[in-house]
Amino acid sequence: MSGRTRRVDRGLPGMIRLAWRSLGRQRRRTALLVVVVAYATISLLFFWGLTDGFLTSIYQSQARLLGAPVLVTTPEYHADPDPVHALPELDPLAAAARSIETVQAVAPRVDVPVLLRSPYASTGVQLRGIEPTAESRVSELPGAIGEGRMVASSGEIVLGDALAERIDVRVGERIAVDAASVAGPSALGLRLVGRIDSGISVVDETTALVHIDDARTLAGIETATSLALAVPIGREAAAARALDQRLPDTARAYGVEEQMGELARGLAAERVGAGVMGLVFALFAAVAVTSSVVVSVMERTREFGVMLALGMSHRRLGAMVTLEAILAALVGYAVGLVVGYALLIWMAEVNVLGPLFAGIWGDLLSGLALGTDIRTDVRFVYVAYAGATVVLAALGAILTPARRVMGLVPAEAMRAAD
Amino acid sequence: MTFDSDRLAPVFPARRLPLVRVLVAATLLVFSAGLAQGAAEVPDDADAILDRMVENLRGGGQRATLVMRVERDDDVREYRLEVISDGTERSLTRVAGPPRDAGQAFLVDGDELFVYSPRLGRALRLPPSGRSDGFLGSDLSYDDMAGDEVRDDYDAEVAERDDTTVTLSLIPRPTAPTPYGELRFTASIPDLAPLELEYYDQRGEAVKRLTLSEFRELDDGTRVPTHFEVVDLTADGGRTVADWTDVAFGVEPPDRCFTQQALERGCDW
Repeated sequence: MSGRTRRVDRGLPGMIRLAWRSLGRQRRRTALLVVVVAYATISLLFFWGLTDGFLTSIYQSQARLLGAPVLVTTPEYHADPDPVHALPELDPLAAAARSIETVQAVAPRVDVPVLLRSPYASTGVQLRGIEPTAESRVSELPGAIGEGRMVASSGEIVLGDALAERIDVRVGERIAVDAASVAGPSALGLRLVGRIDSGISVVDETTALVHIDDARTLAGIETATSLALAVPIGREAAAARALDQRLPDTARAYGVEEQMGELARGLAAERVGAGVMGLVFALFAAVAVTSSVVVSVMERTREFGVMLALGMSHRRLGAMVTLEAILAALVGYAVGLVVGYALLIWMAEVNVLGPLFAGIWGDLLSGLALGTDIRTDVRFVYVAYAGATVVLAALGAILTPARRVMGLVPAEAMRAAD
Repeated sequence: MTFDSDRLAPVFPARRLPLVRVLVAATLLVFSAGLAQGAAEVPDDADAILDRMVENLRGGGQRATLVMRVERDDDVREYRLEVISDGTERSLTRVAGPPRDAGQAFLVDGDELFVYSPRLGRALRLPPSGRSDGFLGSDLSYDDMAGDEVRDDYDAEVAERDDTTVTLSLIPRPTAPTPYGELRFTASIPDLAPLELEYYDQRGEAVKRLTLSEFRELDDGTRVPTHFEVVDLTADGGRTVADWTDVAFGVEPPDRCFTQQALERGCDW
């Protein structure tokens, strides 16, 4: 029995049990290690949840307020958004879009650059012609009316609040709209029926919506420059890829990131930068764990000396110290995951961060088409990201404290001061 | 399609909008005065009065030199423009001075507007936003040179009338491409030569006023205005004054004066 026990104790399970007991005997130090790792894990989860949530919010705002979840245009229009590159036909493309399971709605649009004139000022904007009913299914703009109402028929226009303010036009007043259409110069007088107050500067400063018939008149086209498709969040790219297989060569489907172009590439680069930051964060957390283990080893020099004197090999002692660090880190990691994910889930459900950030970086967020609704992302991959801390802590424990233990001389160690 | 900063276009003061239109109209007025001199009695119907006024504005061809002075609080600039017009929808305007701006030219052909830049050595068709840009760095916009759609875009009624003047109230039609709420167009009786044009916003406030003055009597007895003053009545408004120094009316410019070649090289006629 005892021989069998000895054999077991000399194996890894025995070492783990020994390290675990050791952690239990040094409860304060163990608690400190657990707290440090848990804190690092929670911080990493929060860091990644916030980073991805922030980026997701930007993508979604762009998709729901400025562009569309998926946009079908001609490749020429994508490269050069001029009405001369309008879609040659709509019905077959709309039918193809509706054949994709995830496509919830299809709305034609006509985007045309125009000059808006009031009696006091004029400004150039990108005017969007919409079918009011269809547009409300693919865009959140119709729900952001602050004053008046949405466009319902020809002869009406809705402007972003800041844009209306800039040219000093009030609801009920007429605006002159000039355009260079495919067929030549064209102009309309449109009555302002509503102002959009989204609280997002890029939206409120640039939005101009009219009925699609008026936009067609101004652009000099009979079809549309794009088809906007409503697709569930997170499935835009897949829907665009699937639809591309069914579109003729004259049209292509673009997901949110493709629509965003340079901005999307900039955000992707930001995420890479965030990855480096996350790694540095994990490194610091590992250093904190390692330093705690180093202090623990230094405090337990006499204890280790006794263990060596009783016959424990340096190698096993080093392994035990490393295992102690790993076990403590794992416990902290588990605690951190539970608390961290609970925090992320809560912040994904409740808009805690939006008002907080808006108060501090309101202009910056508004410029990115972000409002006051910012929520965290909750992704399983964060388990791996935070796990980097545990791995680095184990490496640190092997490199420093365990090596120190390996170098102990039993007689000297036993004489060491407490 | 990208979400770029092109969506945030600059704002141009609207006071630039009607000036050239007004000046062109005023130019035509000089010729129209002669036609109006022999006019019959002033009709009662507002549309008929407006037709007569617009006919005066849309008089025959002309060749003229216009000295235009743009006045601001801290700056005064003066330009000399040579204008050729067929009296309908075509005109060619070349800048003769100052030397810094000389050689620039503008061609209006119906709804189309082209500009020639001697520095670039080429002619450009202006996009809509460019049409509102400053004309020679002044309050004038290229858009103004496209002409006046008073008769097409407004419904007229007689607002005031006495023995010497008649004032029409012009209300924009529902889809008329104008930002104004009302124009008040005053002409003398009986010749119906326009004396003043006031632009009102949609809140009942006057935002701009053109006044014609310093009339000169020609050999045939026609009284011709030679001084035009446009005042921006908004808070940051300025003033632009134009004087005719040389004008020939009743001419018929050849078609070659309204071509791209004429825009770039001028029209020796």
